[in-house]
Amino acid sequence: MIELQSVSKSFGQVRAVDTISFATREGEIFGLLGPNGAGKSTIIKMIMNILAPDSGSILFDGSPIRESDKDRIGYLPEERGLYRKVKINEMLLYLASLKNADRSAVEKRLDEWLARFDLAEWKTRTPEALSKGMAQKVQFIASVLHDPEFLFLDEPFSGLDPVSTDVLREAILELGRRGTTILFSTHNMEVAERICSRILVIDHGREVISGSLADIKSRYGHNTVAVEFDGAIDFGSLAGMVRNVSRFPRWVEVELLEGASPQTLLKCLVGQVSIRRFEVVSPSLHNIFVELVGGAGKTGSERMSG
Amino acid sequence: MSKLAKIIRMEFRLTVANRVFIVLTILGPFLIAAVTILPGLLSTSVAGMGAKATKIALLGADRRFVQEISPALLQSKIEVSAVQGSVESLDSQVKAGAYDGYLVMPPDFSEVTRLEYVSKNSADFRVMGVLQGVIGKAIVAQRLVKAGIAASQVASLTQLPGFEMRQLTQGGERKENSDFITILVTGLTLAMLLYMTVVLYGQVIGRSVLTEKTNKTVEIMLSSVRPMELLFGKILGKALASLLQYGIWVTVSAAVLKLIGPRIGISIGVGLSMSTLAYLVLFFILAFFLYCSLYAALGAASEDEQHLGQLAWPVIIFLVIPVVMITSIISTPRAPVIVALSLFPLTAPIVMFLRILVGAAEPWEILVSIGLIVATTAAVIWLSARIFRVGILMTGKRFKFLDVLRLVRYR
Repeated sequence: MIELQSVSKSFGQVRAVDTISFATREGEIFGLLGPNGAGKSTIIKMIMNILAPDSGSILFDGSPIRESDKDRIGYLPEERGLYRKVKINEMLLYLASLKNADRSAVEKRLDEWLARFDLAEWKTRTPEALSKGMAQKVQFIASVLHDPEFLFLDEPFSGLDPVSTDVLREAILELGRRGTTILFSTHNMEVAERICSRILVIDHGREVISGSLADIKSRYGHNTVAVEFDGAIDFGSLAGMVRNVSRFPRWVEVELLEGASPQTLLKCLVGQVSIRRFEVVSPSLHNIFVELVGGAGKTGSERMSG
Repeated sequence: MSKLAKIIRMEFRLTVANRVFIVLTILGPFLIAAVTILPGLLSTSVAGMGAKATKIALLGADRRFVQEISPALLQSKIEVSAVQGSVESLDSQVKAGAYDGYLVMPPDFSEVTRLEYVSKNSADFRVMGVLQGVIGKAIVAQRLVKAGIAASQVASLTQLPGFEMRQLTQGGERKENSDFITILVTGLTLAMLLYMTVVLYGQVIGRSVLTEKTNKTVEIMLSSVRPMELLFGKILGKALASLLQYGIWVTVSAAVLKLIGPRIGISIGVGLSMSTLAYLVLFFILAFFLYCSLYAALGAASEDEQHLGQLAWPVIIFLVIPVVMITSIISTPRAPVIVALSLFPLTAPIVMFLRILVGAAEPWEILVSIGLIVATTAAVIWLSARIFRVGILMTGKRFKFLDVLRLVRYR
């Protein structure tokens, strides 16, 4: 278990991490979310003991991280790098051997992982010709090859194509099912929503919200309704009922105010447009994130006065 | 196998598999042999180089005198002929290439104090030296004969006695013939070996540490090993590779010189005793690791190759200082400055080695010197591990010295 207790870290005048506390549970996938520069990488580097916190403590199974604990951890740093002159399989075996992993088991897993990420033909080549996304997949393999109990992934999805994103997401979910405790940072809310059981959202180094995804959604689920329709809605007529409207080309996501019921909204809309879909939904993590971090008026959402 | 051993093995393999390393390893002995043999060939045996004989005219010389000296000069491929005429006409003949030069011979040898050699080639030291030796000796011999000494006795009378030195030390007599030149050459050998190695491998190690940062592999490495392990592993791995290369070079060069040397009439007498050789190897290895660790620290502190080059040049000064001072070290090995330099870790290897060669180093001084080098090496590696860690956070901006000090205190 990883536990952070009131951890702070400053770089000069900038307070990169400000009294952050959280604990991961065994075998869960924990998402560290926040916009660029929120302090996600700094937190992960502090957990990896690459940076030292200014104050607070980081506990690994109840005590500060020891050198021997490193063998149980897999780490994918934000900055990717491979030895340019070393063949990929040699590099991966070398990194796994530095975790004291059993060589024959590692060799077997190596082939499985390379096949899974469609990298088998690169096995005995140097990474010089790898694309950025491919290099990232190789590095992900490096972080899991020794079958760690804990996996820390810093922005694992950045720069991946949709197919690779799916493969990686499936891989992470599978590792989670097998009991690996996974902590990963991302600003990709869609992915986070699909794989995290619990999240911590930070902005400017401070905690914005934390907890299980389900709790957060119900807390921020202001009776949200998705409406797909033909025609034009007069949003002015909805004042007093609606908190926020997110417009998409074919549909809108409407957050209702306390006390307003979907029924009332439906009645109001029936007269205006022809409705093709009317669904009470929980808000997307994206919307919650934008509301908490980005404020109003950004990325297609619009705040109604009411 | 420990993680350190794994890093050493990886770094060793990376270095040895490098194409430049392989080429250098193969070509090295030939280069060394060439550098050792060529000057010998050039200076002693012009015949071996297929050069034409040098033609010298002796203006106003006696024919009998010319016959007397020409066999000795022919050995050095110099042909002399007696000519009569004016200086002007000979000048034009030399310019036209009929002669390589001429010497104005005086009519009476008893009074002459200087002879003038005229040549187109301003740096004709070899010819000049040979002429001076042969003709000068012949002139002195003629003077002696004139003074009433039998011609047969002249050679033995003018022979200078050879000098040998025997030094007394507390441990008893030294058998080694440690004359000035031998000490100078042995000391310079160590200095040159170190200089070459530092320039070659110091840079390699500095760059290797630097690329760990610029390649962004450092975070992955540090998620598995300590910074100290990584740096020690890098230094030891590269050092072992370079020592292997040196071993190959020395063995092959020695074999080449032993096989080919006698055939072309060159012997290299490496008159080193076992103890001198042991000290040479000891101080070479000590200095090697000290300088490697310094370069590792510089690699950790710099953010690109250019920056590394700027930081690295002052290091070489500490190798140059002992070379510049080599004669004073040999002649006054117990002067306070020299003693201080023989204890100061960066200059100690060469200076202390020279003092040992001269026999002017106390055993405790040697021990203190070695101890200081080892301690400094460990301290530098420790420091570079700290700087290394700092360097990771500081990529992209130059950090100030105070930042380094602050971050050195990190857990």
